Amino acid sequence: MRGGSGDAILALVLVFMPLSLVSFGGGNAVLAAIAQQSVAVHHWTSARQFADLFALSRAAPGPGSMLAALIGWQAAGIAGAAAAAVAFHLPSAVIVYAAGRLWGRWRGAAWHAAIERGLAPVAGGLFLAGGVAVLRLSPGGWPQWAAALAATIVLLRWPRLHPVPLLLAAAGLFALLPG
Amino acid sequence: MPETPAPHRDREATPAAAPPIALLRIFAVFLQLGCTSFGGGMAGWLYREMVLKRRWIDDESFLAMLAVAQVTPGSNGVKMTALIGQRLRGAAGATAALAGLLGGPFAIVLAIAAVYAGIGRNPIVYRMLDGVAAAVVGLTLATGLHSLRHGARSPAAIAIAAATAVSVGLLGWPILPVVAVLAPLSIALAFVKIGRH
Repeated sequence: MRGGSGDAILALVLVFMPLSLVSFGGGNAVLAAIAQQSVAVHHWTSARQFADLFALSRAAPGPGSMLAALIGWQAAGIAGAAAAAVAFHLPSAVIVYAAGRLWGRWRGAAWHAAIERGLAPVAGGLFLAGGVAVLRLSPGGWPQWAAALAATIVLLRWPRLHPVPLLLAAAGLFALLPG
Repeated sequence: MPETPAPHRDREATPAAAPPIALLRIFAVFLQLGCTSFGGGMAGWLYREMVLKRRWIDDESFLAMLAVAQVTPGSNGVKMTALIGQRLRGAAGATAALAGLLGGPFAIVLAIAAVYAGIGRNPIVYRMLDGVAAAVVGLTLATGLHSLRHGARSPAAIAIAAATAVSVGLLGWPILPVVAVLAPLSIALAFVKIGRH
């Protein structure tokens, strides 16, 4: 399906741009919709290819939302990858930029400080919830929970430790687990 | 790495007091961050780099950005990058930061995909990905706990953070209704507290 046909690129933009605008809670919120569009509706990938691209997007560095680029690449080559990545990232970046500017304009007001201080515990709590939710969805079972807990303790004790050695150690340990 | 505590900066003084960071430097730092932040959980990597290591952003600002990011759509790492770039150098800073963060991984992910097309599925690779995911969850949890030490100092704030984490993370309740109840409650508590001082 390579070849960068204009129709495929237009279709990629029309799929990923609206999804960017409704992905409340992060890119994972629209994962099911991305899967449905690329496998069942547009046949950009087979179900198996989609699973592979998803795993790749998680193994590679950078935001997991690069899945959009991978699907665009599968559908229409490099141009498709660029179109899908821009369509998926640009609208949400523009919105958050506008929200951030609006927010910064009122810095100093008492109610502004109250909202920032009040939202902080909720934002922190959602952060913890995100970590737990990934574990609940993951197929790795109790070794994953144990490894996550160990990594948490290590990083709380040494906050500036570079995480890559930790990731490599975890990958190595899990490779040795009985299948 | 200097171990001296970050100088106290009050809200009004923050933008003027710090010298502006060069756009090329912002681009380079985010490019490096994009190319080395494995396993997702971008906000955790950003916290480590921007708050702990470089001190370009303080804890309270980081949590405030996280809050803005939570209520707008899109990938969290991308939204946080746009907000941090904006705080550092306005629109140009946000553009430089986003170009850096996304440019590297874009090239890498396509290169890996081209190679991977010839290898196919491998159970050991999938187990290793499980290990990477677990360690990244550790980074996420450590970031949340670390930033809450600064962002949730009162018992009420800690209770709200815990209620959020348990209801969304363990019980699997949807984010929007939970935030719709807990955020106004938490803001009201903060408002009362500010009024008393």
